[in-house]
Amino acid sequence: MGSMFFGQYLLSKGAIDREALIDAIERQRRTNLSLVELAVRDGCIEPRVGQSILTRYRTTETGLEELCIEYGKISEEKLDELREIQRSDWVRIGAALVAGGHLSRDEVEEHLAVFQEAQREANQQLEADFRACRDAETVKTVVELAVFHLKRFTNGPVKLQTLAEDGGELADGRRRYAQMLTGDRDLHVVLDLPSQVASVVAEGFIGIPVEGDSEVAIDAVCECVNIIGGHACTRLEASGFRLRPHPPFSTTGDEPSGDSKSSIRASVMAGDHPLDVRVFV
Amino acid sequence: MAKWRVMTVDDSAAILTIIATYLEGSEFEVVASERDGVMAVERFAQERPDIVLLDLIMPGQSGVETLERILAIDPDAFVVIVSSLGTEDAVHECLTTGARSFLQKPFTKGDFIDFMRDLTQVA
Repeated sequence: MGSMFFGQYLLSKGAIDREALIDAIERQRRTNLSLVELAVRDGCIEPRVGQSILTRYRTTETGLEELCIEYGKISEEKLDELREIQRSDWVRIGAALVAGGHLSRDEVEEHLAVFQEAQREANQQLEADFRACRDAETVKTVVELAVFHLKRFTNGPVKLQTLAEDGGELADGRRRYAQMLTGDRDLHVVLDLPSQVASVVAEGFIGIPVEGDSEVAIDAVCECVNIIGGHACTRLEASGFRLRPHPPFSTTGDEPSGDSKSSIRASVMAGDHPLDVRVFV
Repeated sequence: MAKWRVMTVDDSAAILTIIATYLEGSEFEVVASERDGVMAVERFAQERPDIVLLDLIMPGQSGVETLERILAIDPDAFVVIVSSLGTEDAVHECLTTGARSFLQKPFTKGDFIDFMRDLTQVA
């Protein structure tokens, strides 16, 4: 089993059905508020400032708490108070399933113990898979940066699940967004995204709703790949690699698959949508 | 007070849109936007903007080549590189070629406006 969310695990094991998971997630959305939402609800910051903080969070590498202090003018003491409210109100997916009558508390605990043990193994496996990759440092850097920026642009949970070498073909129903990096290494950074994820990424990036297959969305997601590639060059420079990015491109074909490079495929979940981050090395 | 006249050059329409949106209502006016380095040099010669925001990684003529050609037209042109690439090599190459500053993508509206206002202190 790869790394996954608990709700997804329960669904995959048949412990709950899709409707139960949707109900539990909706319960969580009603109760689990971010620090920014809590601060707005509490009247510490204006909704407009809260929106601005969330935009900054999506487009910079600064943490949410730091942004609340810097732009929301929230004191450390107030932040502690909000954290405490957040902790006490926070409902985990298991508790939400119990509250919805989909599982008993005992059932949740039983599944959770098995799930946590499997996750420990999955994470160890991921680390081992990274180490076993051709050009492990480059692959790990690109995959971690991709997950980091996808979290920011989608403003939602993004989880790396499995890592494996494959032929690099594009799966049906997805579009490929890619960028070549050349220099001390010769590689491609690739995102294979379904249309729903592309539209969320594009909206997070440019700030207006767009259709996933539209020219605007394709251009915006290409720019996101450009940001991942550019930052990978910057980070790998510290390890002594000189790399230069080329203009990003999008395709519904399989390129650069088949040009003798190995494709390392990182399967990722963005919310409940699967996508692939690939590195062709 | 007259607005600062800005030209933006980036192959990404999304970035051109974001910059134009960020500058709306500010003391900066986008007088030209180009998605191609060759066209950008022509527009520069026509518009002579106060500030050029230039992408580095573009198909065809690169940002550095475009920078060189703009500076050949006007050695005092105020060109700023806006790129996702932040390697020391890239920054060094741009600055030694004649770029006045360097901004790494992505950026927020607040950071971008602050950056632009800082530029006007030296432009």
